[in-house]
Amino acid sequence: MSNTINATLECQNLTKTFNATDPPAKVLNGVDLTVKDGEFLVVMGASGSGKSTLLYCISGMDRPTSGSVHLQGQDLTSLSDTEMSQVRLTQMGFIFQQGYFLGNLNIRDNILLPALKAAPRATDAAIERVDNLMERFGIAEVRLHGITEVSGGQLQRASICRALASEPTVLFADEPTGALNSSMSTDVMDSLTDIHASGTTIVMVTHDPVCAARGDRVIYLRDGLLLDSRELGAWSEAHATKREDELLAWLREHGF
Amino acid sequence: MKRSLYFRYGYNDLIRNKGVNVALLILLVMSSFLMATGAMVMERSVGAVNALLDEAKPPHFLQMHKGDYDREALDTFATAHPEIESWLIEEMLGFDGGTISWSRPSSGEFGDFSSSLIDNLVVTQNDDFDFLIDGAGAIPRPSTGEVYVPVGYQQSFALQIGDEITIRTDSGNQDFTVRGFVRDSQMASSLSSATRFLVSDTDFQNLTEAGGGDPEIIAEYRLSDTSLIPKFERSYESDDVLPKNGQAVTFQMIQIINAFSDGLVALALVFVSGLLVVIALLNLRFVIRGTVEDEVREIGVMKAIGLPSKAISGLFLAKYSVMTLLGCAIGGVLAVVATQFLTQSVQANYAQAPLGPQTVLVPVLALLVVYLIVIAMCRGVLRGVRKVEVVSALVHGSTLDEKQTARRAKRLARRARGTNLASAGRGNMNTRLALLDLRAEASQWLLIPVVFALATFLIVIPTNLLTTFESPRFVTYMGAPESALRADLQFSDDVDAAHQQLLSSMRADDRLSQVRDYANVLYETPGEEGWETLRVEVGDYSAGTVAFIGGRAPQEGEIALSVLNADQYQLSAGDEMSLRHGKGDATETVVISGIYQDVTSGGHTAKMNGDVISGATGYVIYADTAEGADPAAIARQYNDDNPVATVIPMQEYVKQTLDYVTTAFRNAAILAGIFGVGVALLITILFLKLRLTRERTKMGVLSAIGFSSREIASQVRFKVLLTVVVGTLVGSIFAATVGEWLVGAAISQAGLGIARLDFIPNPWLVYLAHPLILIAAGYAGAVALTVRLRTPNKSAWLKGRQE
Repeated sequence: MSNTINATLECQNLTKTFNATDPPAKVLNGVDLTVKDGEFLVVMGASGSGKSTLLYCISGMDRPTSGSVHLQGQDLTSLSDTEMSQVRLTQMGFIFQQGYFLGNLNIRDNILLPALKAAPRATDAAIERVDNLMERFGIAEVRLHGITEVSGGQLQRASICRALASEPTVLFADEPTGALNSSMSTDVMDSLTDIHASGTTIVMVTHDPVCAARGDRVIYLRDGLLLDSRELGAWSEAHATKREDELLAWLREHGF
Repeated sequence: MKRSLYFRYGYNDLIRNKGVNVALLILLVMSSFLMATGAMVMERSVGAVNALLDEAKPPHFLQMHKGDYDREALDTFATAHPEIESWLIEEMLGFDGGTISWSRPSSGEFGDFSSSLIDNLVVTQNDDFDFLIDGAGAIPRPSTGEVYVPVGYQQSFALQIGDEITIRTDSGNQDFTVRGFVRDSQMASSLSSATRFLVSDTDFQNLTEAGGGDPEIIAEYRLSDTSLIPKFERSYESDDVLPKNGQAVTFQMIQIINAFSDGLVALALVFVSGLLVVIALLNLRFVIRGTVEDEVREIGVMKAIGLPSKAISGLFLAKYSVMTLLGCAIGGVLAVVATQFLTQSVQANYAQAPLGPQTVLVPVLALLVVYLIVIAMCRGVLRGVRKVEVVSALVHGSTLDEKQTARRAKRLARRARGTNLASAGRGNMNTRLALLDLRAEASQWLLIPVVFALATFLIVIPTNLLTTFESPRFVTYMGAPESALRADLQFSDDVDAAHQQLLSSMRADDRLSQVRDYANVLYETPGEEGWETLRVEVGDYSAGTVAFIGGRAPQEGEIALSVLNADQYQLSAGDEMSLRHGKGDATETVVISGIYQDVTSGGHTAKMNGDVISGATGYVIYADTAEGADPAAIARQYNDDNPVATVIPMQEYVKQTLDYVTTAFRNAAILAGIFGVGVALLITILFLKLRLTRERTKMGVLSAIGFSSREIASQVRFKVLLTVVVGTLVGSIFAATVGEWLVGAAISQAGLGIARLDFIPNPWLVYLAHPLILIAAGYAGAVALTVRLRTPNKSAWLKGRQE
C-alpha cells in the first residue's frame, strides 16, 4: 500500500463562487482545513452547505475561486490542467455516489484503466494488482462482466478497486453509499474501513451518520463555512452503536 | 393558452440551445435556398425560351444547305405535303468573324469578331415566321445602312447602339450602323454553331453582289400539327432531289438545345440541393433524437402530470415547424436575389419570361416540398415521445422502456465482455479508448461519415464533370483524334482546290506532323421511310486516332457509326449496312466495325476507311505541332493564308464548342464546393455540440481518473478525424464508381451522343485537394468545439451539467 507518512492535505481560506446563477452563488466562504496523514475525514452538512464543492475543490476537479490547496506540500492551485490530471492519476482516487463507469469496458478494464494509464509499461504488474484488489473486495467472479450485469454493491466495490488501482495517497468519496441499500452500504463501508486501516487517507462526504461514524474525524459545514469539527478516534466494531449515537447527538446540536 | 405554452417552450429552447438551433436554421436555409433557386431558374429559363419561341415563331423543321439546289423540287415537295402550314427559303451570306469589324466613332474603340468561331450569317427579316426579335419583343425591319447584331455579340463584345459594323467583301468594305440587337429562336443557344445578323433587303442584295460571303440557305417549314414533325422529317430526308447539304433541325431539337444549355445550371442546383436536403434531414433526425434524450426528464414530468404524448410532441414539432418555415422564408428570399443574377444571360438571349402564377407557384411548391419532407421526418422521429415511460424517464433519465433497456444492457455487456484493454497492445491509451468508443457508439457516429461521404460526392461530381469536359482528351467524345490543330473546309465552289492547297502546305510544314486528312461525304442508307442521308467522314483511321466504345476502327469495306446513328439504325459492331452515293448509284454493303461517341453535328456521324476523294461536301484536316511550336500562332497564319478554311487549335475548338457546358459545370462545382465544405463544417460542429453534451459524464469520469482536458479533447478529435477520413474516402470511391455510372446514365439520356462517359478527373484536385479541404473542415470543427473543454469546473461534467 502507499506510503502515507508525509501525506498532508491542507487548504486555507478556500472560496468558491459559481457565476452562472444570478446573483452569483458563493458556495464556499473561506474554509481552512487540514487532513492528516492516514486520517479518515468525514464531511457532513445539510444539502447546499458546500460539502461536495469542498471535496471537488481540494481534489483539483474544480478550481477554487480563491485560497490555496496543498497536497504533500505541493500547491495544487498553481498547477496546469495537465499537471493536475497527473496528480489525480497518481496520488488520488475517487468514489462517486453513482458508479460512473465507462459502459463499453468490462469491470476489470474499468478498474485497470487508471493503472494502465499511470504505468503503460507495467501492464503485468497492474493486472496482478487489480486482480488482487478484486479478490480482496469480493468481485473477482464478475471481473469480465459488463457494468450492467452486476449489482449496485458490486459496482461500488469495483469503484473502490478503481480508486485504489494506482495506489493513491488520498481517496475521495462523494456519498459512496447514497444509492445503495443498507446491507450493500455496510459492505462498502467495511471496505473503506479496511482501506483506511491499511493506511490510506480518506476524505468522504456523506449524509448518513452511520457511515460517518466510521471516520476518525467529522467536520460540519453550513453555508460554505466550516462550522465545527469532532474527533471520533479509531473505529471499532464493538463500540459502533455508542459512537453513532454520540455523533448523531452532536449533529443534532448543529441542526442536522 | 396552448399557443402561448408552445411559444414559451420554443423561445426558452431557442435561448438555451442557441448554437444548435442557429446551425440547424442555417442548414434549413441552405437547403430551401438551393431548392427554390433551382426551381426558379428552371421556371425563368423555360419561360424565357417559351416567350421567345412564341414571339419568333421558329420553324418546325429546317434544313440547312450549301451549294446549288433545285427550287422546283422544293415547290413540288411543299405541294405534296398538305400538313405544311407555311414554308420559306431563307437566303443567307456567311462571313468569317475576321471579316467583320466594329468601331465606336465616339470613343475611337474598335475590334473584330475573329475570336468567335461560330458562323456569322447575314440575313433579311422573314415575312411569315422565324423572326428575329428585338429587345422590346418587336419584329425589327432595318433601313438601308442599318444592322441588327445578335445579343450574344452585344454581351461578348460590349457593343452599343450607334456602333459601326464593317463587313469586308471582295469588292471592298460595306459599312453599317448598329440599330439594335436581336434575339434568335433558332440560334440563341450557346450550343448553336451559327448566329444571324439582320440587314435590309437592299443591303443584302449589295452584299451578295459584292462577293466574299458564302451563300447558304435554310429551307424552313411550319406544320399544322407539331406531332407530324418526325414523319415530315423522314419524308424530307428520303426525298433525293431536295437540298440537304447541311444540318437538319426539328422544333424539338430547338427546344431541347435552348433549354439544355441553361437548364444545366438549374439541374446542377437541384442536384446540390437534393443532396443538401438529405444531409439536413439526417442531421435534423439526429438533433431531434438528441433533444428528446436530453429532455427526457422534462418529458417524464409532463407525462406524469397528465399531458398527452401528442401535446408533448406538439411542443417539439411547433419549434421545428417554425424553424423550417423561417428557413424556407429566408431561403426563398435569397433565392429571388440569386435567380435574378443567374438568369441574366438567359433573359437577355431569349426574352423576358412573363410573370404569371407559375412564377410564384413553382418556387413555393419547391419550398413546400422541403417543408413537408422536414415536418414528416420530424413527426416520424417524435413518435418516440409516445414510447417514453414515466418511471424510466424520471428515475433513469432514459427514453427506453424496460424491455429496450434490458436489450441495450445485454448488448453493452456483450460488447464489454469482448474488450481487453490490457492485451490491446501498448499503443496510446487515448487512441484505444477512442476506438472502443467508436465501436460502441457506431450508430451515433455514423452521421459524420455519411455526411462527409455525401459532401464529397457533392463536390467531386461537378468537379469531375468540369475537368472531363475541359480535358484535351475530351475530343475523343467528339469523334476526333487528339491533335493540336484542326482545319475545317466547308462546302464552296472552290473547296477542292482550297483543300489541296491547304493540305500540301500543311504536309510541307516542318512545324506540323501527323497530318491526317478526312473528307465529309454524303451517302444514303435505307431508313424507315426509304433512303436517308448519312454523313460519313472518309479517311485513314488505321493509326487508332478515335476512341471506340465498342468494336474497332474501320478497315476496307467497313464503317464505324456514332452512338446516335447506331441507335437510330439499331446496329451494332458486326452488323451490315447498305450504302449508296445517290439515287441510281450501285449499293454497297459495309460491315459495322465499331461504335464511337460524338457530340458534334448533332451526334449523327459515321467514319469510313478510304481515300480522300475530291467532290466532298467538306474536309477536315488534323495535325500535331512540333515541340515548342505555338498552335495558336500556326492556326492564325494558316487562317490568313487560306480564307476558305477555318484553322483552330484543338483546345480552343473544344473550349468554344463546349463553353456552355463547362460554364455550367464550373458554376456548379464552385457552388457545390462552398456549400459542401460549409455543410460539412456546420454538421461537424452541430454533431459534436450535441455529442459532447451527452458525453459529459464520461468526460467527468475520465477527468477524475487522471485524463487531462487535452487528452479528452484529443480523443474526440481522433474520433472526428477517423470518421471524417472514412466518410471522405467512401465518398471519393462512391463518386468515382457509382457517381460516374449515374452521371454517365444521365448524360447518355440527354441525347448528346455520349453513351459512356468516363470521367477524366484531375487526381490532384479530387483525390488530394478536395478530400484534404473537407477533412480539414471537419477537423477544424472538432478543434473549435473541443477547445472549450478546458473548463475549470470538471465536477459539473459528472453531474451532467453544462459549464
